[in-house]
Amino acid sequence: MYKIRIHGRGGQGAKKAAKMVGLAAFKMGKQVQDFALYGAERRGAPVMSFVRINDDPILERGYVDDPDVVLVLDRTLLDLVNVADGLAKNGMLLVNSEHKPDIDTPAEVKNVDATRIALDTIGKPIFNTTMLGALAKLTQVVSIDALNWAIEEELSKYPKELIEANKTAVRKCYEVAK
Amino acid sequence: MKQTLVTGNEAAAWGARLVRAKYIPNFPITPQTECIETLARWSADGELPGTYFDRMESEHSVMSAAVGAAAVGSRVFTATSSQGLLLMHEVLYIAAGMRLPIVMATISRGLAAPVTLWSDHNDFLDQRDSGWLMFHAENNQEVLDMVLQAYRIAEDPRVLLPAMVNMDGYVLSFTDEPINIPSPEQVEEFLPGYDPAHTIAKNRPVTVGPPVLDEYSIFRAQNHVASRNALNVIEEVQDDFEKIFGRRYHLVDEFMLEDAELVLVTQGSMSTTAKAAILEMRDEGIKVGLLRLRIIRPWPNEAVAGALKDAKAIAVIDRNVAPGKGGIMFPEIIETLYNLDRRPLVSGFVVGLGGNPQTENKVKEITHKLMDDLAAGRPRMEWNDLEEI
Repeated sequence: MYKIRIHGRGGQGAKKAAKMVGLAAFKMGKQVQDFALYGAERRGAPVMSFVRINDDPILERGYVDDPDVVLVLDRTLLDLVNVADGLAKNGMLLVNSEHKPDIDTPAEVKNVDATRIALDTIGKPIFNTTMLGALAKLTQVVSIDALNWAIEEELSKYPKELIEANKTAVRKCYEVAK
Repeated sequence: MKQTLVTGNEAAAWGARLVRAKYIPNFPITPQTECIETLARWSADGELPGTYFDRMESEHSVMSAAVGAAAVGSRVFTATSSQGLLLMHEVLYIAAGMRLPIVMATISRGLAAPVTLWSDHNDFLDQRDSGWLMFHAENNQEVLDMVLQAYRIAEDPRVLLPAMVNMDGYVLSFTDEPINIPSPEQVEEFLPGYDPAHTIAKNRPVTVGPPVLDEYSIFRAQNHVASRNALNVIEEVQDDFEKIFGRRYHLVDEFMLEDAELVLVTQGSMSTTAKAAILEMRDEGIKVGLLRLRIIRPWPNEAVAGALKDAKAIAVIDRNVAPGKGGIMFPEIIETLYNLDRRPLVSGFVVGLGGNPQTENKVKEITHKLMDDLAAGRPRMEWNDLEEI
């Protein structure tokens, strides 16, 4: 089973990001489970969301305390939340940041400037979808095609241009992530 | 069959849509909100033809309006959680006493004070003696299936009682998982339109829920008998359900019980995690199984006793607490086993209040404590999440 934990702040789309990864993996024929954990919805407060992906039915529920990969949408959370908590030794911590942050973890730490990519392509700091490009590239857990499908599905109520801009941002983030 | 990724809240909303509920009075509350939002969106988009989606000012009003609509013969759905369910409490007894087959999804959340938004079962179990049928789902597929079955059971002339379908907040209500959503035709075949024999009608005045004197206990007894009747009806509907939808449910959910010496008794979504822990413990040679309570009222005595009678020791895992007593289901299980020739040892564990996560490790810890209890011949009642209280 592959487990993802996403840290963000209320309003940054951590829940939506988990849903999109879940949808993408589901589209690829996997068993999935995604959900978000938050208190009273406060914009800006630390929130978490989770995805479990498996070939067989998933017999685990709730909070993911031993993720394979952790996505941090907002690097200012690094001072507030122990984002590496329970992260697998051979796991990966992927942070939306211009510079590689200094985090005490045996896991691999990667960074990608998703905010910059989002501003350049979408024109707004919509970095939740953007970050998924890096996730797809660095973990291969979902394909870029499946992600595109999930974005279209999940954003179907939004204007076509916004959907395309999101897909472009994901593609760019996929290309630069390393 | 094609699967769709939906949350527990959406699964309940699909249930209401597929049964063609005529009236949906509602008031939002976390973690039920998304169920009502989904129905509101469908209603606004014209996808609920013939349904009156009625926003109200409180849960007390919601249940009062539900009673009125059901009394004139409408199929009614609503959903609530926690404090909202408590605010309905007074009217729940009226719905049951007037024998109105309203179906309500309850999305469990711990009760204030202090305030929590996360799940435990005190809100649901607080309605235990209200006269409603009470069902508790483990996963999102069961949420939808239980809503469909609840209407069929509740509307049966031998039953005519309201029914609650409970799911755990967040862990199911806000969690996407793949489920089969049946076609409207399939549901129509399983559950035709609601055509009750006794309703208030314009040209046929009747009195429902009047003041009574000596007759009061007759009505209460009839509520009890109707609830007991539901046990048979629940089993009866499974043949039709399986024929149409390909799934079947039992009065209790038995997992690896055949040769189990140790049995964990659970409710709701924590059962999934417990099953995963059991599979691992089985690999270590521990003979442990699980009994999941899915029908809380009417209480399936025989099914519960039958499933537990061969166990050596039982751990009742309550995600609730009756302060001053202990877990709510703990004494119910003991009572059910009391008249057996050979009684297993029964320990009680209070866990997971206010959403405290129920991990596989905690389930294993409880199982090892139960083994200690069996060796010592002494049962316990404790708060498993806390070092000391």
